[in-house]
Amino acid sequence: MISIDALTVRFGGIRALDALDAELAAPICGLIGPNGAGKTTLVNVLSGFVRPYAGGIALNGIALSGLSPRRRVALGLRRTFQQELVVDELTAADNVRAIADHVSANRQSGRREVAVAVDFVGLGARRNVLGRQLNLYERRMVEIAKTLIGRPKLILMDEPGAGLNEPETDRLRRLLAAIPEAFDTQLVLIDHDADLIASVCVDTLVLDFGKRLAIGPTRAVLDDPVVRRAYLGRE
Amino acid sequence: MTEISSETEPFVAAPPATSEIAPVTRVTAIVVVVGLISTVIAATCDGYWLSNFTQAYCMVLTLSGCALLYGQLGLVSLCQWALAGVGGWVSLRVYHSFHPPFLLTILAGGLGASLIGMVWGLPALRMRGLYLALVTLMLAGAFQTLVVVTSFPVGGPGFLGQVGASGNERIMMARPVFAASDTAYFVFVAVITLLGIFLVEAHRRTKPGRAWALIRKDEHVAIAAGVRIVFYKAWAFALAGFLAGVAGALLAGLFGQLDASAFAPTDSIIIFIGTLLGGYDSWLGSLLGGILTRFVPALLIDFNVNTNLGFMFFGFALMMALRDPLGIGGRLTLLAAQLWTKYQGRRAA
Repeated sequence: MISIDALTVRFGGIRALDALDAELAAPICGLIGPNGAGKTTLVNVLSGFVRPYAGGIALNGIALSGLSPRRRVALGLRRTFQQELVVDELTAADNVRAIADHVSANRQSGRREVAVAVDFVGLGARRNVLGRQLNLYERRMVEIAKTLIGRPKLILMDEPGAGLNEPETDRLRRLLAAIPEAFDTQLVLIDHDADLIASVCVDTLVLDFGKRLAIGPTRAVLDDPVVRRAYLGRE
Repeated sequence: MTEISSETEPFVAAPPATSEIAPVTRVTAIVVVVGLISTVIAATCDGYWLSNFTQAYCMVLTLSGCALLYGQLGLVSLCQWALAGVGGWVSLRVYHSFHPPFLLTILAGGLGASLIGMVWGLPALRMRGLYLALVTLMLAGAFQTLVVVTSFPVGGPGFLGQVGASGNERIMMARPVFAASDTAYFVFVAVITLLGIFLVEAHRRTKPGRAWALIRKDEHVAIAAGVRIVFYKAWAFALAGFLAGVAGALLAGLFGQLDASAFAPTDSIIIFIGTLLGGYDSWLGSLLGGILTRFVPALLIDFNVNTNLGFMFFGFALMMALRDPLGIGGRLTLLAAQLWTKYQGRRAA
């Protein structure tokens, strides 16, 4: 569970996050908002890349403030980035193994976790193919497989569906829905695709200008007239 | 655990699944190529060319480290030949002080340069690109100035080991008994070079190589994967320094002593050009680049042509190398991989 308490982030004179309060307890939570709402800033604060100006954030009761990004990784925090960052010169399995090297308990469990994660995302048959030979969907799957290594407690996915076509997004939807139960973890999903959020996320937090616009069950949030006006551009 | 792998077949037409070359095939290829080249050289070359190819293999070792830094981390180091000088200095100092077995002397040279390389690499924790290149080039210049003033140890008294007021003779560093002749020493250096290539390959294909790949891709990605950035960068500099140091020690063994003017900053630049020319992403690139960096000046000397023409050659080669990042070694490796895939396909059919 993520607890956010009066979180404020400033970049010069701009308040990227403004005294944000929220609790995200559902196994899959959505994080949406218009461009510049503070979604990626919140992910960066959670993963330790951005230090908040004020307020705090906790994961399963453990305060994250003051912990280095590496310490957060050790606590079980995983993330993907907006752009896929698969290493072209490594195979699909080695891209995942690069994470296991540093987060798995030992080499054997690392090997096992890599095999499970690669099979889970459907890349078992392509595990030894070099990154540069993988198509966009497969590269996205490698990125997801990387987050499943080393008993993750919280996975932050920043637009995992970007660039995928409709059938691929369908597969992605099923995959994301299966992750919390399969890996005993919480998933926070940031995406502009409202359909993806609606079909996968139990709860959703909507940000606007760094403030909380709405939070609650996804369907109710997306039907909220205020959210529709601010985010979807219609009521 | 939920298994949904069967439902997640890729939808976009994927390129042919060319897998990575198997480790056994790679090791065999390295041994065969280095073995063949070395056998031809050992069987056909006279003293002049044997000496030059021995130096070329020392270049290969140094260049392997340079390629490791550039290829794995994108770091431009222009002090690698100076680090070879550091290795030579340390090995001569250790030899004249303790007279250890030759292999230990080489190891001492490697470890000394590794330590200095790691210290010199500290700016890399904050710098990249042109700034790092300039800082390392200045370090190479500083080393040359220092070594021109103090010179390499020749068995004299004191820490610097110079021929002093006592008028003692210069003492040459002896080669190992099993590699006393020029040919035997060349074969010995070839074996050490082979081990150096294996050391780099072992790093590239295992945990450090994967960590370096993440760092090169994006440091934030590496941090999010739990990689200790400072540790792995320092490790790369230490390894590159070790290889250069071993090369310097082998040069000391080749000549028995070292000349301060032999480790000019321009040579470090030539090493980097050789890295680009040969190809920084393959062992074959380091091998060919290293051989070329020594072969061209030696050829000019052999033809009684001004060796400064070599700079023109390397300048032109640099322009060509910038056009093709794969380099000669990368192109040949790609060709070999394509032929191998085709052969396997036919065999399977």
